[in-house]
Amino acid sequence: MKNIPDKDLLLFRSCLVSVEYPGVEASTKFVFDKLGIDYAISDKQTCCTGLGHYSDVFNQIDTTAIGARNFKVARELNRPNLVMMCATCYAINKKSVKLLNKKDDLREHINKLFDENGLSHLKYEKDDLKPTENIFHVVDILYGKKDKIKENIKYDLSDYTIATHHGCHYCKVHYEDTIGGVRDPNIMDELIEECGCKTIGWYDHKRATCGTGFRQRYSNPDLSFTATADKMNAIADEDVDILVHLCPNCHIQFDRYQHLISEREGRNFRAIHLNITQFMALAMGGDFDKVIGAKAHTVPIDSVIKELKEVEK
Amino acid sequence: MTSQQKITDSPIDFAEDIIEDVKNSKDDGVLKCVQCGMCTSTCPAARHSDYNPRDIIERVLDGDVTIMEDENIWNCFYCYTCHSVCPVGNSVCEVNQILKQFAITNGIGYDKLYEYMGFADSYFTAAIGAIPEIFFEDIDRDVPGWWDFRQNLDEIRDELELDPPLMPSKEVINEVSKILTITGFKDKIDKIRESQEE
Repeated sequence: MKNIPDKDLLLFRSCLVSVEYPGVEASTKFVFDKLGIDYAISDKQTCCTGLGHYSDVFNQIDTTAIGARNFKVARELNRPNLVMMCATCYAINKKSVKLLNKKDDLREHINKLFDENGLSHLKYEKDDLKPTENIFHVVDILYGKKDKIKENIKYDLSDYTIATHHGCHYCKVHYEDTIGGVRDPNIMDELIEECGCKTIGWYDHKRATCGTGFRQRYSNPDLSFTATADKMNAIADEDVDILVHLCPNCHIQFDRYQHLISEREGRNFRAIHLNITQFMALAMGGDFDKVIGAKAHTVPIDSVIKELKEVEK
Repeated sequence: MTSQQKITDSPIDFAEDIIEDVKNSKDDGVLKCVQCGMCTSTCPAARHSDYNPRDIIERVLDGDVTIMEDENIWNCFYCYTCHSVCPVGNSVCEVNQILKQFAITNGIGYDKLYEYMGFADSYFTAAIGAIPEIFFEDIDRDVPGWWDFRQNLDEIRDELELDPPLMPSKEVINEVSKILTITGFKDKIDKIRESQEE
């Protein structure tokens, strides 16, 4: 397996995490601290452009030039290992690094623009970063510390029925780097097992999209929600209590719109939606409001998790 | 067959343009397509609409540039399922994104971007990616309590002890705006805006 760093990490802020589920950032920090992971956050790093990129507003050159600037921010802090809370940031940044290293014309074009416009300090040299060695999702970093999870678990969540939704932009875009399977994704199932719980494993549509489809949710909501309903029905068929996510886009689609899709389908969907770091932080004793950020959730977390029972030592 | 292909015809030129596009990460994968249909059989847009990824590649290989005007190409979810299962290493998802950029460059797809101009504005003027305000009304209608939650966001973030603040510094914003000017982004957005006002 690839080498997963536990130091010199730049925790890459996500626009959606910041304004929709800030508890994902707080939970990531909480869990990283428990596991002894060395990371920092920079106020100079800007959004990956992902939402605009996948709405076709930003082209590849716009996105990669912004990427080159963020990569320089990371290198100047001597934190060349970028770790993303959002699957879209992960896919976007990994692609930009790949293109900058592989396509000399593109790299030279962007560097020339920087040179000619007083931005020479942002220039990217071939192999400044490596896509596999430097670009990670939070789940990768947690996986690298898998053996340390169990000793930090305070609460037993094993009585709940748990399923995972692995974001497409973690699993399917750069599939050569995906840990835990692409066609049958399991990295989060393995992490949850380290928390002393067993997930339901495979279910119908497990590897399918959340249905957001970027522009589909806003310009084509019927198509978007119909695709989401495929998965929501499959989750309800298994009577799932907690669906665990790794991407804020998917998280929004399921948590914010569960009520609406319930009405459309004429069926009561009752699962709560937690990011893997929120799930882990909860199991490690994180506070609902001070760490998990429960107030940001549309489907109330306490509609399922009513009390916590401590693990038997 | 109603039409004949002559030796001087070059339908492959269209595919070559895609191969040379900066976004393409699959080398000449598009030329290797064997029309097996794995992409279509696993595609959520094909399951629920007339979008057909296999057909897109067939038309590209036929040199059919009218595909850029086909409304159906805008139904792709960008889920990369086709990309992850293709047995010959092609990516219809990437080809689709490239086709849309061709359409935009040729002024065909401008109207598809009008609703999304908010992404351009927030990034250019504030260096942040934010859901365009044009959608707020829909979100508030569909998501109970969303607007109230957004009003209380600062309080929630404070309780979570999150910093730095959401807004980047002036220095960062200036650098980002400059980058998006020199890449041609600003000119493109201005042009799309002009077409919207016509």
